[in-house]
Amino acid sequence: MSGWHVDPATWQAYAAGHLDMAAQAAVETHVTTCPACRDSARRVAEDDPMTGGYEPVWEAVHAAIGAPRQPAHLRWLRRVGVPDDAVVVLAAAGDLRLPWALAVGGAVLSAVVAAHVARAELAYLLLAPLVPLLAVAAAFEATDPLRELAAPTPFSKLRLALLRTAATLAVAVPATALVGVVVPVLHALACVWLLPALCLSGAALVLLTRLPARWACGVAGAGWAAVVLGLESSGHLGAVTGGVGQTAFALVATALGVVLVRATTTLQAMGATR
Amino acid sequence: MSTTLRDVSKSYGRTVALHPTTLTLGTGVIGLLGPNGAGKTTMLRLLSSALAPTTGSIRVAGHAVTGSHAERTEARRRIGYLPQEVVFPRGMTAAGFVDYVAVLKEWRDTPARHREVRRVLDLVGLGDRATVRIRALSGGQRRRLAIAQALLGAPDLLILDEPTTGLDPEQRASLRGILSALTCTVLISTHQTEDVSALCDRVIVLDAGRTRFDGTVAELLAVAAGRVHQGPAPSEGAVGTWKTGTGLVRSVGGTPEPGTSIAVDPTVEDAYLLLRATPARGGADQGAHA
Repeated sequence: MSGWHVDPATWQAYAAGHLDMAAQAAVETHVTTCPACRDSARRVAEDDPMTGGYEPVWEAVHAAIGAPRQPAHLRWLRRVGVPDDAVVVLAAAGDLRLPWALAVGGAVLSAVVAAHVARAELAYLLLAPLVPLLAVAAAFEATDPLRELAAPTPFSKLRLALLRTAATLAVAVPATALVGVVVPVLHALACVWLLPALCLSGAALVLLTRLPARWACGVAGAGWAAVVLGLESSGHLGAVTGGVGQTAFALVATALGVVLVRATTTLQAMGATR
Repeated sequence: MSTTLRDVSKSYGRTVALHPTTLTLGTGVIGLLGPNGAGKTTMLRLLSSALAPTTGSIRVAGHAVTGSHAERTEARRRIGYLPQEVVFPRGMTAAGFVDYVAVLKEWRDTPARHREVRRVLDLVGLGDRATVRIRALSGGQRRRLAIAQALLGAPDLLILDEPTTGLDPEQRASLRGILSALTCTVLISTHQTEDVSALCDRVIVLDAGRTRFDGTVAELLAVAAGRVHQGPAPSEGAVGTWKTGTGLVRSVGGTPEPGTSIAVDPTVEDAYLLLRATPARGGADQGAHA
């Protein structure tokens, strides 16, 4: 055992939740093996008028020891300033395995289809932006096991939807982009689908404030298919990948973002129960 | 702080799940009884704000669940809700699950939230299982975990849909102890009539979407007074009969055989069976709260 022991100031900082994660972990690990520090904690707490006895300190110790440990990538998010409640919501997104599987599968499928048809550009531009949309639909339609518990809470359902979307897109977008980079015939298109995908996901989220997820994503997806096939039939498909087209997508995505931020309805978000 | 429903109804197309209902729920433990499909879960989901009513208004602690977004949010801050079935993310730990619900209930101060999570886990006897993954918990432990999240933050209205399902007798007794110590409005939907007689100040019986009875446990028992008998043979026309461990037959309602059967004290279950067997009187409620 080392000669180090937890001093009173460190105990008080620990109880108040002011220690950083490394110091907190060090205290917790040490106290489990050091009877002297357990005694010192008791003495310090009993003498401290701020704590009013050792019981609050022990409560804090127990609470901290029992508190859920976040994976490394979520601890990193907290360190870079993401609010703790957002990190907890993201940590609960482990149930998004189905949307993530759909995202990866959809990305691979869109690449395979594009690589085996004569019009690779058309096929990829049509399918790639639908992959994140598919993942968003799956994330909200049936995969949140806690919807019944979440619905009657004061937490903004729109914020919950956006956080789950972020967790979904964090897998869907890189997966689709990676496929675009890896498949030689799609190199030129590896990035141009990103803004359309952002527009489609934004449109679906706006529609989610009014419609169930399958309808919202279905409408957005059908709209995208109509746009792409319409441009193809008129010989203007290149507009999607050109500077003007990409700028237009950026503007639409920004406008949809503003609409989302200003949306005030929460009961209907996520296609909630009527 | 009371909870009120005023002419609240819920329909799904042409199917009426809950006919227009007006109730005031004061502090204390209130039992909600009724057969499957009576509208109990619909009423609880309406009160919890998980479901919007077709007509009528609901207020919780002075805030309109059916009002503006701000009013609904205020009401939601005062509600604890245990759904009939909770589908757990099985990879989460017990503490992680309650911590997530605490975040949804706007516990923003992390140390205070963790202390509250610890408190409710200790309250339901899961303090030593906090770091265990939910998939490793037994059915009874999962039910207690679901109850723990409903107890977060001392709600003004605690709504529990079948809370004792899956709990063993000791755990049910423990839950009764927890609930009886609360000073808020507790509304429990249950099929366990012994929970109602042991715990509730008031009983509401729903049947086919209508309030069939609303009164005290004593008033419900009065429905069956002198109508439950025990003897060697079943009473003629009884609602329910069964042979007891003593070899005698217990008959609920009906006409007992003269001279051989004796009247026995009714239970809440007897009263409930008799109430259900009696045709409704044009939707008129019985009891002191009617």
